[in-house]
Amino acid sequence: MTRLGAAEADGRFPGFDPLNQASHWDQVTAGLIEARVRPPRQVTFFTSAERACAAGLLDDLLGQPRVPVLQMIEARLAAGETDGWRYADMPEDGQAWRDTLGHLDADAKARCGTTFAEVGEADRHHLIQAVQELGAGDWHGLPAGHVWSLWTRYACTAFYAHPFAWAEIGFPGPAYPRGYKNTGVGKLEPFEVHDARPAEDPVREGM
Amino acid sequence: MPGQNPVRARNESAWLLPNDGTRTNHRLRRDMRQFADEDEIDLVIVGCGAGGSVLLQRLARDSWKVAALDAGPFWDPDADWVSDEAGSHHLYWTDPRVITGTDPVPMGSNNSGRGVGGSMVHYAGYTPRFHPSDFMTRTLDGVGADWPISYPELRPYYQAIEEELPVAGERWPWGDPHGYPHRPHPVGGNGEVFLRGAARLGITAKAGPVAIANGRFGNRPHCIYRGFCLQGCKVNAKASPLITHVPDALAHGAEVRPDAMVTRIAVDERTGRATGVHYVSHGRERFQKARMVAVAGYSIETPRLLLNSACGRFPDGLCNDFDQVGRYLMVQGAPQTAGRFDAEVRMYKAPPPEVSTEQFYETDPARDAKRGFSIQTVSPLPITWAEHIAAQGHWGRALREYMSDYVHWSCLGALCEFLPLPENRVTLAEEKDRYGLPVARISYSQCDNDRALARAAQSVMEDILHAAGADQVITIQRYAHLVGGARMAADERHGVVDRHGRSFALPNLYITDGSVLPTQGSANPALTIMAVAARTADHLAARASGGTT
Repeated sequence: MTRLGAAEADGRFPGFDPLNQASHWDQVTAGLIEARVRPPRQVTFFTSAERACAAGLLDDLLGQPRVPVLQMIEARLAAGETDGWRYADMPEDGQAWRDTLGHLDADAKARCGTTFAEVGEADRHHLIQAVQELGAGDWHGLPAGHVWSLWTRYACTAFYAHPFAWAEIGFPGPAYPRGYKNTGVGKLEPFEVHDARPAEDPVREGM
Repeated sequence: MPGQNPVRARNESAWLLPNDGTRTNHRLRRDMRQFADEDEIDLVIVGCGAGGSVLLQRLARDSWKVAALDAGPFWDPDADWVSDEAGSHHLYWTDPRVITGTDPVPMGSNNSGRGVGGSMVHYAGYTPRFHPSDFMTRTLDGVGADWPISYPELRPYYQAIEEELPVAGERWPWGDPHGYPHRPHPVGGNGEVFLRGAARLGITAKAGPVAIANGRFGNRPHCIYRGFCLQGCKVNAKASPLITHVPDALAHGAEVRPDAMVTRIAVDERTGRATGVHYVSHGRERFQKARMVAVAGYSIETPRLLLNSACGRFPDGLCNDFDQVGRYLMVQGAPQTAGRFDAEVRMYKAPPPEVSTEQFYETDPARDAKRGFSIQTVSPLPITWAEHIAAQGHWGRALREYMSDYVHWSCLGALCEFLPLPENRVTLAEEKDRYGLPVARISYSQCDNDRALARAAQSVMEDILHAAGADQVITIQRYAHLVGGARMAADERHGVVDRHGRSFALPNLYITDGSVLPTQGSANPALTIMAVAARTADHLAARASGGTT
């Protein structure tokens, strides 16, 4: 089994694994990253209903991330580690998460008669997409765009903190004390791996 | 000493750091002078960032009994900082703040530091000067405000600080043309793309100006180009006051008191003078007595502290008789445009601050807006890059696929001179923080001129990236930096402090941070904040020697 950190064999950076360089990292950083890739200590912030809903939402937002983002976010909310601001028309982050998960469940019940966690993938996508499409519009008394910002900000911050995600995008992670010697377009360090499919531009395809 | 660096004689900070591969002079901190709360010291400074640290160092050298209190920790880069994006969250001011207005400005990692060194611990490292025109935009362009000081009055302080940081860059052709003490750094992939695109369009772009020593400076080592400038420089290569001014201040008898959150400035209502500051340290409420107070908490916390210091004589907040406190808060419009290349740019290698152009800085009659913008390399790390991709509306598998393209992207950022407007301001919210104090409520709305500048900047960045060979470009709208909120003015009806940083309301209360700036130009503000603080320090030292305080 691939260890959680190495790029998947059919990914764009075959064999690339930031964790292979861990012996070159300073001790403080290495300790932090090693703790991040260990199974997380369960910290309880959500109720079980909220947690079930959040699990489905985060899986969908991040395309089945294989990284314990839910636990990472729950630990962050329990510690009150916010970004240092909230919109005046939103509750503080912890309450905003609770409220919006409740609203998502309410939408699921209205559409499918059951909780968000229990509806099928297509319906979940529909429900999530509906919030995104509201943009600046109102969703259960909250500006949908600010809800979307809250969800994606917490989700992406958790996921792209993980070496599994770094492997997927070709990013080597920590770089102290070694630094980089080969900077410039097209230049690689011995431990970096070229993109196997450099012309596969998802933006071009998507447009 | 033969061959001694001339900077060393006036600021020995870089030589007071260890040269054994560690980054903190623990002995200097252990032996630091410590004043008692009941000592009436000459000056207590609130905040130990860009403005506070320079003032502290200058006045310690002038033999003042001076202490700087900071709400956050006294950082040790070895033990406290990591080479990791998510793990650097503690560098930001993350106490609650409420944002509102038609264009609310996110705080935290974007613009607010905490701890000794302030926001310069996590700024990119760009240190451009303001242009001479920035000091008289009202006269020249009919917008913004004229400063009560002119560029030539600040020039010697710019030069002094550039030497102390020190700044590396090419000869600078814009504004008041000048050189830099250190040669420009070699550029990485992102800088290469910028220079190539600009050259093809006939746009002048230059490497620098960055406060990262090129070569060894004192005991500070050479940059290792690891790309984590915004996470705190573990190398001691990028300048922040923690290593450029605090060590020399300590060596000259100053005290830095970390983990000390100032909650209120005390005023003797009979004499009309400030008498010291109330603060909370390790859960205990304390009071530091002082002959003079300088506030350097930056554009949100400085107005908030003045408002939270309301008393009988100043019922609407200290220095707020004319409703000026908190007003004219400014942020720069900072759209970031990224371009996609089949080649691997790997913008995370090399410092994010590499190359800039100030060709569009001044008012251009051909544009439908006054004032202008600068363009610089920015090189977001993965979490920040995910914001760019999510902002395009992608989520789920699509987000993951777009993110997997990271190594192919180059990213430029603009700094647009958004205008100072009276309704963009800091007030107090009803919500309280952990000290029981009302938190800041920050209202921000753009004007038409602001939006026009952001559009123009985006268009130039798209042109540069296309000219460099990008097949796709994407843009996100964001903000950068903070200044204003307690501006310098000719009189108390138009601002909070005078041309020396002295408050109009209290003769012994000064403000020495970015909040005193009346305009912001299109320049990153750190160097100007330091230069203005150094000028205030000279004024205070001269007054003291004249016996007029």
